[in-house]
Amino acid sequence: MLNPRTTKALCLLLSLGLVGTTLVASLILGQIPVSFHDLYASLFAYSPGDLRHLVIWSERVPRTLIALVVGAGLAVSGVLMQSLTRNPLASPGILGINAGALFFVVVGASLFSLTAPSQLIWLAFIGAGVAASLVYFLGHEPGRGISPVRIVLAGVALTAMFVSFAQGLLILNQERFESLLFWIAGSVSGRSLDAVSPLLPVIGVGLFLSLLLSRQLNLLGLDDELTQGLGMNVGQIRLLTGLLVILLAGTSVAIAGLIGFVGLIVPHIARGVVGPDHRWLVPASALIGGALLMGSDTLARLLIPPREVPIGVVTALMGTPLFLHLARRSGSRL
Amino acid sequence: MLNPFAFLSGKRLALPVFLLILIGAVSASEAPENTVTVKHALGKARISASPTRVVSLYQGATDTAVALGIEPVGAVESWTEKPFYRYIRPALTDVRVLGLETQPDLESIAWLDPDLIVAARNRHQAIYPLLRQIAPTVVIDDVYDFKTLLTLMAKATGKEQVGQCLLRHWQARTRDFRSRIQRKLGDAWPQEVAILSFRADHARIYYGGFARTVLDELGFSAPSAHRKDDWGIKLTSQESIPAMDAEAIFLFMQEDPAVKRTFREWTDHPLWQNLESVGSGEVYPVNPVLWNMGAGILAANLMLDEVYQHYGLANTLPTADLAC
Amino acid sequence: MSKALIFRGRQDGWSVRVHPQLMAVCLGLLLLLCLSVLTSLSLGSHPTRLPDVVRVLLGADSLEGIRLILLEIRLPRVLVAVLAGGALGVAGLILQGLVRNPLASPDVIGITSGASTAAVFTLWLTGSAGTTSLLVPAAIAGAFGVTVLLVALTWKGGVSPTRLVLIGIGLAAGLSAITTLLLVISPDATAMTAYIWLTGSLYASRWGDVIGLAPIFITGLFLACAVARHLDLQALGDDLALAAGSNLNANRLVQLLLAVLLAGSAVAYTGALSFIGLLAPHMARRLVRTGHTGLTLMSALLGGLILVWADLAGRFLFMPRDLPAGLFVAGVGAPFFVFLLYRLRRQG
Repeated sequence: MLNPRTTKALCLLLSLGLVGTTLVASLILGQIPVSFHDLYASLFAYSPGDLRHLVIWSERVPRTLIALVVGAGLAVSGVLMQSLTRNPLASPGILGINAGALFFVVVGASLFSLTAPSQLIWLAFIGAGVAASLVYFLGHEPGRGISPVRIVLAGVALTAMFVSFAQGLLILNQERFESLLFWIAGSVSGRSLDAVSPLLPVIGVGLFLSLLLSRQLNLLGLDDELTQGLGMNVGQIRLLTGLLVILLAGTSVAIAGLIGFVGLIVPHIARGVVGPDHRWLVPASALIGGALLMGSDTLARLLIPPREVPIGVVTALMGTPLFLHLARRSGSRL
Repeated sequence: MLNPFAFLSGKRLALPVFLLILIGAVSASEAPENTVTVKHALGKARISASPTRVVSLYQGATDTAVALGIEPVGAVESWTEKPFYRYIRPALTDVRVLGLETQPDLESIAWLDPDLIVAARNRHQAIYPLLRQIAPTVVIDDVYDFKTLLTLMAKATGKEQVGQCLLRHWQARTRDFRSRIQRKLGDAWPQEVAILSFRADHARIYYGGFARTVLDELGFSAPSAHRKDDWGIKLTSQESIPAMDAEAIFLFMQEDPAVKRTFREWTDHPLWQNLESVGSGEVYPVNPVLWNMGAGILAANLMLDEVYQHYGLANTLPTADLAC
Repeated sequence: MSKALIFRGRQDGWSVRVHPQLMAVCLGLLLLLCLSVLTSLSLGSHPTRLPDVVRVLLGADSLEGIRLILLEIRLPRVLVAVLAGGALGVAGLILQGLVRNPLASPDVIGITSGASTAAVFTLWLTGSAGTTSLLVPAAIAGAFGVTVLLVALTWKGGVSPTRLVLIGIGLAAGLSAITTLLLVISPDATAMTAYIWLTGSLYASRWGDVIGLAPIFITGLFLACAVARHLDLQALGDDLALAAGSNLNANRLVQLLLAVLLAGSAVAYTGALSFIGLLAPHMARRLVRTGHTGLTLMSALLGGLILVWADLAGRFLFMPRDLPAGLFVAGVGAPFFVFLLYRLRRQG
């Protein structure tokens, strides 16, 4: 029988394979038919006159890249959140980070007419940061660290507050409403690479730092006394993790809008495949998250052409049955 | 216990009143003089002859009222160019603004004590019972059918002469256009046109709606992909650009930096450059208010003016307000 | 615990405990509610003086001008606010007792989402701006449909509260995605109308709505007082409740159904109002420490109060626009809730 380590390594390799497959699929499939040959040619023998090469580079590559990076970012932020709050339900959507981003974007767009994608991205990032800090502050019991129940409560309250303020502004300002609807629904298309290229490496850095921190992350699940006995400064680890969460989730939301379920579901899937050890969990989540989002984006544009289903809807439709299954199995153990 | 009249009003009164009106309409010879019975999408309305206080609850009705020479006492505000679109603003000097088209201020309507209310079924069906209690209400089925609206409102306001004149004038203009464009384009007529619009984060193709109806009447055709029952579609990916193609394109958008940015991005895209209409230079920017929002006879006439202009045809017939 | 007055029947056949403090608070709230109703009736795009309002309510034939506005436009609207707000408050209380979690409310566990998706679907299908005749049954059907799904998925030999919440959250999220999809493919006017419905608005409430909602609210209130005892018992924990002879699963189902009945019908008429079910019970608990019967009455009164004021704010502060009441409920309620959390944090 294979030893556990080898199994996990195999799983990681499989995930990598999955990423590769969905990547190629995302580049090939779409309204304008592109063959493998076209893909190969556009990479190594690019000719600007060929329409298909143009489509690949102007449309498909940005989307695929964004989906891959944002998917990985959201998934890993979910892992971090769940470990930090010791709550398997934690995710950017539930803890109010998405809502904070939404609110700042709506304020910027309605009150200050900041509607350029590059501006929206910064607004979303700041909003996510504010929300994450608030939820941490509210969910933190002085002297005892984060209370799992309280932080979810705080997340729900903050989400309601931000969403209601945002809704109020949108209803007062109807023209803005229908131009923000697609961002609210989540999208990886229509973002030009120049607008997002400063932010994609940020997620890359975040992912890298999370990998470095994996060993310490394993300790977050233990009781405080135990970790102090081991000589680790839990407070510092928590702080770092919190910052990484803001970095990853905030940037992801800033780029792609409100995409739910990836941060919630992927950690659970990854945990089922490679176990709770963060040294395996973080890379596995990143890979599975990237594959999931690329797959969702491809599906989103194949379902009802020439329209596209908002990607947040696709991830939700895929994620909900999975989530319900998980909740059914483990609900009583929470 | 509350006022017994409260008990009798509302839903309970609606049915008897409706029956009364029905009976009244049937026995028209017994109806009191100086009233007009108008059949509309949600029933019948009995209106006193030549009502002076008219309330308009949607854009097309405001437009048509002005065309018939009536200044409404109350009207809902426009979607852009608030409170009223620029093309009819001069005629609306002393009009009370009633809030949004989708949620008009019921108290203000009641307080205005109107003689006639004009509403649209797909906006105001829910409040129709309340409106009827305030004043006789005429409800239009299709917001884009400006000719039925004109006929209905002309009858309801006792201005049938004006209404018929306006319709004849419109028909004369469409005939004139058809003959001129036939002469100009020859075999290339009828021409396939697409109607597009750009927003801050997406683009739209219109399959139906006001502009499409008018263009159809003028004899234009549409790409087969655009012949659908839907109002249209929203496109988020530039890969969908080929779906927009036609022999000519009419497009409109708001004056907004975000919209302009999106427009530039889409039109800079190589797929756009590949479109047939772009190649032949037949892409015409038009006024969104007239083509998509005005929805009345005046807007239709002004829209036709733009079409004449874009095709370089001589526009010699008198304008609507001078002709009638 | 303040002293209670106990009334006993002959030969101790029955007994009722009444807390004077609770009675005082309830009467106070009732009075406050009546005053709020009168205030709301006097304000609008055309302010009416209070004496005129009272006269019209009492049946004066004169004052034609304001009679229509008062009796057909404002009064039904305010009454719907009282009934729907009260129903949501009670529903929230029941759910919080059922799940033993202060987080629970009809919106969190998916009841409101079920109604919302059904309503937006109906709006998209008919393309019309809210024909009540179709929307109300659709919304109620949606609420019950989701609850059936919720129970079916949660049932594993019984109904575990934590599993119920989790599955509720999952269902709510999934349904919200479908609603978003519908919003995105709808034409603008329908999308805006749907969005306003999703925020919760009492615009164009009619007497038909009052007549539809009143019997459900009254029945629901009675039944809620009846199950209050069980909620008190359940608050002590599963083991104690079972030991005291409570049929946990049956009780939980009944409580859930009652909550859905109240919340579903309220939401069907007003749109997806959130937060009242979360706020009112919390406020009630802070007013008087008492058992669930008293809490039910107070939640009903407080819920009504919240919605009456939210609705008034919506139609009065931004004239001639009529903003949805749901905005104000959440806009004021959510920061209040955040503040509550902050206070709790201090207490550790």
